[in-house]
Amino acid sequence: MRTKILIVFMLMLALVITGCSSSTSSNEDDSDKIVLKFLHKWPQPEYAPYFEEVVKEFETQNPDIKIKMEAIADEPIKDKLRVILGGSEVPDIMFSWSGEFARKFVRADAALDLTPYLEEDAAWKESFIPASLQPFSSDGKNYGIPLRFNGKFFVYNKEIFDKYGLDAPKTWDEFLDILDTLKEEGETPLMLGNESPWAAIHYLTGLNQKMVDQEVRMNDYNPRSGKFTDPGYVKAMEMLAELNEKGYFMDNVNSSSHDMVKQMFFAGKGAMFYVELEEFQDVENALKGNWGFFPMPSIADGNGSQNYITGAPDGFIVSSKSKHPKEAVEFLKFITSKENSLKLVKDIGWPSPIEGATNPDTALKQVAEGVDYMKQSEGMAEWLDTDVHAKVADVYLSNIQLLLDGSKSPEEIIKEVQDVAKQVQSEVE
Amino acid sequence: MKETYRNGRTAFLFILPALLLILFIVFLPIVLNLYNSFFRWNSFEAGKTFVGFDYYIRLFKDPVFFTALKNNSLYAIISLLCQVGGGIIIAAILEDKLIRRFQPFFRTVFFIPSVISIAVVGLMWQLIYNPEIGLVNGVLNAIGQSEWAHSWLGDSKTAIYAVVAVSQWQYTGYMTMLFLIAMQKIPMEYYEAAMIDGASKINSFFHITLPQIKEMILVGCVITVIGAFKVFDEVYVMTFGGPGRSTEVLGTMLYRSAFRNDEMGYASTIGTIIFIITLTLSLIQMKLGKSGQEVD
Repeated sequence: MRTKILIVFMLMLALVITGCSSSTSSNEDDSDKIVLKFLHKWPQPEYAPYFEEVVKEFETQNPDIKIKMEAIADEPIKDKLRVILGGSEVPDIMFSWSGEFARKFVRADAALDLTPYLEEDAAWKESFIPASLQPFSSDGKNYGIPLRFNGKFFVYNKEIFDKYGLDAPKTWDEFLDILDTLKEEGETPLMLGNESPWAAIHYLTGLNQKMVDQEVRMNDYNPRSGKFTDPGYVKAMEMLAELNEKGYFMDNVNSSSHDMVKQMFFAGKGAMFYVELEEFQDVENALKGNWGFFPMPSIADGNGSQNYITGAPDGFIVSSKSKHPKEAVEFLKFITSKENSLKLVKDIGWPSPIEGATNPDTALKQVAEGVDYMKQSEGMAEWLDTDVHAKVADVYLSNIQLLLDGSKSPEEIIKEVQDVAKQVQSEVE
Repeated sequence: MKETYRNGRTAFLFILPALLLILFIVFLPIVLNLYNSFFRWNSFEAGKTFVGFDYYIRLFKDPVFFTALKNNSLYAIISLLCQVGGGIIIAAILEDKLIRRFQPFFRTVFFIPSVISIAVVGLMWQLIYNPEIGLVNGVLNAIGQSEWAHSWLGDSKTAIYAVVAVSQWQYTGYMTMLFLIAMQKIPMEYYEAAMIDGASKINSFFHITLPQIKEMILVGCVITVIGAFKVFDEVYVMTFGGPGRSTEVLGTMLYRSAFRNDEMGYASTIGTIIFIITLTLSLIQMKLGKSGQEVD
């Protein structure tokens, strides 16, 4: 009897144990190769082939390295990155936005300091447009390598502008005049799809930068010292709300998605649309040369520099837990080489941060001009929702819809921002 | 005596795997969640900082928490009325002699929404609610009620009702199905006897059908109410808590804290509160369910 019980017990135990044991044999067949895990955010069929080709080429040139590539789309990667970084299977190379989004991983010691690698290979370092490396740095050290250099510009429908004899504005007042004319002529002056509120946050990114003194703003955006007491922040929101109150934006901004509005703009339903440089190719495909663009106009009574462009690079960070940092950097060097950057510009029309890669021969004329704007600017105003602490960004993001539907005032919102900034200060050591 | 004792031990060995599974998969996470709610931590940083009851205090001062509670309650009340109340009425109509031969057709049609994936349902309803090209405003304009046309998901006052309505559309058919099954178990003799006594259809509905399916009504109530407090995907797909925070429910609030704001401790706190709410509701149900059996 006793042996029977024992056998039953052992069988059950065996069942439980086999169920729990983890298989560790997955990498064994490539044991002689170094395996690098590479995570990016472009699974779309129009972009993915570029990465597949680059990875394949790299593997042919480095037969002892194998790259395991994975792609997660834009919205889910914001959550996934945080979870993945806490796990044991951290990718060696990961996509990240620049600014605070990357800096929180730096603070958690999850991102590898890439400064020595950049110092070691001066030619590589100098191949970048300087403004594209800066947003990935923290306390003077580089933690990320940019892949794209993205700026935000107003594109306008030339047909509509010509009809009323309008030109691209230089100042905010000229901009308002144009909006007023278009409104009176019965056109929809500004297209905006704010269902995902980053769309309006991109307006506020530029307005905050232009209204608030640079040093004050950088102090406020730093989670350790953020106060947000400058009156410029309120003024910036008032200006955005004004665009809506005067009816310059299209109807139903909060329930229209950016992509849907883009299609409406392409169909000629609005005069202007605020888009990123990476979308220029789509605009060209739809409007066929019948469009122009301009950066956010300068604001006369703003305290910030008026020669900034809204935008930021995004690219890759290397995990601090990576067992093969040298090989990971080797891959980053490969993907940002002049050759592959030219391919990036040519194949998918993205602006490259590599000096000279985005030129009129390889890129769309307007994309090359956009990159020139960024090169000549004094600096970049990085996306507000990735440049401030996640909790501050969350307050801004959820309130901007209420600002636009008129249910919250700029003063109420800035009060909430100040409160959460204070809370963040007490939590970040 | 010795024999039964031995059998008891064997029996214990046999339930041991199930017991272990429940311990590790259900009870341990609950305890861990409670423990985690006392710390400030996030998923990618190594350290944890003890904060005691700070997050609980903050939660009860957080206006979003009360918005979420209100929205969850709204979800529960409307779901009870539509899914349980409406489900019973539809089931009773379908069981009526006159309509019964069409029943398989209607049953299928009403049931279809509940088997469609929520991602598809969400996208579809986003389009239906779209103020420019959507079906709802299109119909309103066509019948001459243009002033009712509205940005349903984009207005913080109507968004939560628009989201709740989608759930009713999706799950009322499912509930109807459950009630149909219960009603088909009622012996026909009751109705025949009632008919001979001259009872109207309304009367036999109230005095035969309802008492006979009481147990199923209780089950239906529990499913909908607890479901309403655990709701997440409908809101996540259609509005993600917006505009502003107007459609935030406890589930999305938890998700936002954990994966957007890097506050796993606060998320654990919200998780604990959801657990307490659903546990209380289940206990109430179990008590009600027992009293129902006693009457039988």
